[in-house]
Amino acid sequence: MFKSMGKTWRERLEFGLFTLPVLLCIAVAFYIPFVMTARYSMTKWNGIAQNPTFVGLDNFRQIFSGDANFAQASWFTVKYALLYIVIINVLAIGLAVILNMKLRSTSWLRAAFFIPYILSLVIVGFIWKFIFMQGFESLYESTGWPIFSMSWLGEPGLAFISILGVSIWQSVGFYMVIYIAGLQSIPDDLMEAATVDGAGPLRRFISITLPLLAPSITISVFMALTNSIKVFDVILSLTGGGPGGTTYSVAYDIYRDTFQNNLYGYGTAKALVLFVAVLVVTIIQLAVFKRREVEA
Amino acid sequence: MNATNRSSGARLPKLLLEIVMILLSILFLYPLFLALNNSLKSFGEVMTDVIALPKALAFENYSYVWSFINYPKLFLNNFIITGLGLAGIIFVSSIAAYKLARTRTRTSALLYLLCIMPMLIPFQSIMLTVLQLAKQLNLSESTWGLGLLYWGFGAPLAVFIYHGFVKGIPREIDESATIDGASGFRLFFSVIFPLLKSVTTTIIIIDVMWIWNDFLLPLLMVNGSPDTKTLTLAAYTFVGQYTSDWQYAMTAMVMAVLPSIIVFIFLQKYIVKGVVAGAVKG
Repeated sequence: MFKSMGKTWRERLEFGLFTLPVLLCIAVAFYIPFVMTARYSMTKWNGIAQNPTFVGLDNFRQIFSGDANFAQASWFTVKYALLYIVIINVLAIGLAVILNMKLRSTSWLRAAFFIPYILSLVIVGFIWKFIFMQGFESLYESTGWPIFSMSWLGEPGLAFISILGVSIWQSVGFYMVIYIAGLQSIPDDLMEAATVDGAGPLRRFISITLPLLAPSITISVFMALTNSIKVFDVILSLTGGGPGGTTYSVAYDIYRDTFQNNLYGYGTAKALVLFVAVLVVTIIQLAVFKRREVEA
Repeated sequence: MNATNRSSGARLPKLLLEIVMILLSILFLYPLFLALNNSLKSFGEVMTDVIALPKALAFENYSYVWSFINYPKLFLNNFIITGLGLAGIIFVSSIAAYKLARTRTRTSALLYLLCIMPMLIPFQSIMLTVLQLAKQLNLSESTWGLGLLYWGFGAPLAVFIYHGFVKGIPREIDESATIDGASGFRLFFSVIFPLLKSVTTTIIIIDVMWIWNDFLLPLLMVNGSPDTKTLTLAAYTFVGQYTSDWQYAMTAMVMAVLPSIIVFIFLQKYIVKGVVAGAVKG
């Protein structure tokens, strides 16, 4: 009896030794800051005053009733996320199907489309800023095409398209390789059988490829959603929120309020709103995809 | 007859498609080429024509930026942050995931949930308070402190991936090792950890790409002094200071991305495989 007690004691000690380090790290990175965020969100504080003043739910009331910046940033983020998810998945599937056809240059093509994904988004933003500001001017001089003389960073609508386009340029290769992996798991004989039965390329794509790609589509849509809802880096370096503050995303708006306007309490309240939004969207998406998988 | 017709008919479109795709890929990478091209020009050349090749290679741009931003120091900073962060993530996550997967109790299930739930918290939601906590713990304004912080930020995904993998390793392996006298950390590191090699590679690839290129956390944590900056941060600050000197800005960009591109060229196969594995498991 004594021996068995000693064993459980030892097992517990070992369990603690193995799991405590990670729990401590995660607590420092997430849980403690999260509790602090929840607390600050109900205060008014500029970071300089000794103590934050408690204001209850005033910050949240203000966010939802009278904050034009937040409303605009939310609309920007929703628009951006929807377009990003649709366009990047369509493009990535198209690229993946072509690059899965065993062309002679396949390995070069895959590498070429993947390369921007390994670069930092801030740097990608600066390189494109240079292209839009200086490069397009030279391209216009040599081609005369009006597309190069448009103000891609200076007009609100065009700036939105530029941000969307640059983000897609940077990450389309990532989604492409996920789809290529998905395509490679589709058995060849299935395609051959369909060809023998007289199905054309389009028919084969719609009836065989797309349904069998469903798991890859789930993953890609999920990742595109979580990435696009938090868009920040590329906007910071490409437009800096301009022109006229029209290209602020929610994440950038939080950054502006917290670190540029020093509204610590108000900024963290917005941050909490972002957290709840991400949580709700994720839960809905997981539920939808779960149900679809059961049906399939 | 019919078959030969079809195959020769299919060959031409395929060749055409190949040519179109190659042209498209060149167009796709053209912006990167323009960055490289203009990093090798003088100020006047950049201003008159961005597309033209440099008349003489202006390597002095590189030596100027190299010493101005103290490139070797930045490179070392990136290396310390990424290396320390990665080593910690792998260590704390693998031992915890192993123990949590092997222990079938309610506590263990709850702790596992606690470990992976933070994947739902967007960094921007907690960035201010992370910074304040880091200041209180004396982790801010230090490359080592930033590296340490990544242990917690990288752990949820790593625990998740390791946990799923350990469940597939038969318990008999642990039991036979216990009979042979190994236990605790020795059992884990001599028997189990080697079996996790493939999944460790995946985690290394995802985390190196993330930490090496990360921007917002370093911006908040180590942007105060030129001694602690990372490559991306330095490039960011540099462009802010030299808004019109595009040739220097592009040089800084090229110098910041070159390490990643060189590594990618050599490890391309592993990187693509690792990224796919991470996405599918994650």
